[in-house]
Amino acid sequence: MNRHFWIPLACAALCVLIVVPWVALAAGGEGGFDGVVGSIESRYHQHAMRIPLMGLASVVAGAATHGGVDGVQVAEFEHFSAPVDGEELNRLVEEKLGQGWERMIRETGRHGGEQTLIFSHPEGKRMGLFILDLNGTELDVVQVSVDPDRLNETILKYKHHDGGEDSSD
Amino acid sequence: MKHRMIALILGAAALIAPACAQTSSSPFPLPTPLEKELAARAANVTEVTLGKGMLDFAAKIMDSNDKDQAAAKQLIEGLDGIYVRDYEFDKEGQYSMDDIEKLRQVFETPEWSPIVHERESKGSESTDVLMKMVNGEPRGIFVLDAEPKELTIVLIVGPIRMDQLSELKGLSGLGALGDVEKKTKTKDKSDDKPKTGGN
Repeated sequence: MNRHFWIPLACAALCVLIVVPWVALAAGGEGGFDGVVGSIESRYHQHAMRIPLMGLASVVAGAATHGGVDGVQVAEFEHFSAPVDGEELNRLVEEKLGQGWERMIRETGRHGGEQTLIFSHPEGKRMGLFILDLNGTELDVVQVSVDPDRLNETILKYKHHDGGEDSSD
Repeated sequence: MKHRMIALILGAAALIAPACAQTSSSPFPLPTPLEKELAARAANVTEVTLGKGMLDFAAKIMDSNDKDQAAAKQLIEGLDGIYVRDYEFDKEGQYSMDDIEKLRQVFETPEWSPIVHERESKGSESTDVLMKMVNGEPRGIFVLDAEPKELTIVLIVGPIRMDQLSELKGLSGLGALGDVEKKTKTKDKSDDKPKTGGN
């Protein structure tokens, strides 16, 4: 009796383990930041410029802000001349970012090359932010993880170092 | 046989669950097809969707020592969401009064009370402001501002004080809130005077 119950269940679970990653792969490979950048490159036939030593810069940013800003990833498309359908771009980004990312801001123009998408992703105390901005012929893609408490501490520290802004303004 | 059926159902559920999780409904209560239709017709679209999590996050990075930021921080800390939709059209007549009516109908519930209902005589411009009242306390505000080539929808959910609204006008798409505060104040004053006509 038990065997009749568990064997089909094990088969179903095995199917999930095999089929889901296969479907994800078939649907367009990796997700996240690299997935979005890769998809933009292949969809619009443009090449992204990765900032050299970005990993190091991210570590420095993390140290300088005491963990306030972390996991910085940047890709830049210069001379982005392909026509962009705002709805299609939004769909592409949503699909590649995957679950857990929620769109916060979207500004899209039908005529011009101006598109802005900002997504957020709660990560416990931190917040992941994904920003895509197309302005004319330059498209920038940025992902960053922010700890608001630590970032605020750092901002306040620098404000005090600057002599402090007049709070009565 | 019964157990095998249960196992198959569980297996199917395991396959379907990830797909269902991706189609979570938007907290913005306006009809999605209408949103999409308006967005498709508009030349420029601005959508701002700030849920409670994001508002809490924003409040954390606001400076309590700065007078303006402290006021905005105090306001957004208690809110459940801020939603803005702004549609700019190339020419007049790209949305209809029927569209406006559909948007208004969403808020035709006993909880929502109209506080401003302004119409231009030609009928090409209108402003509606509705307030959600729960136990006599304002718990939300809905602004629908229609101009010949622009349609702006603002929805703020959560406890809100009218005198604090202008603190939010610096946020993208919320510039109209400063005007709403003025309009409601004007309405309050005009309520003290004898009425000479309807809206």
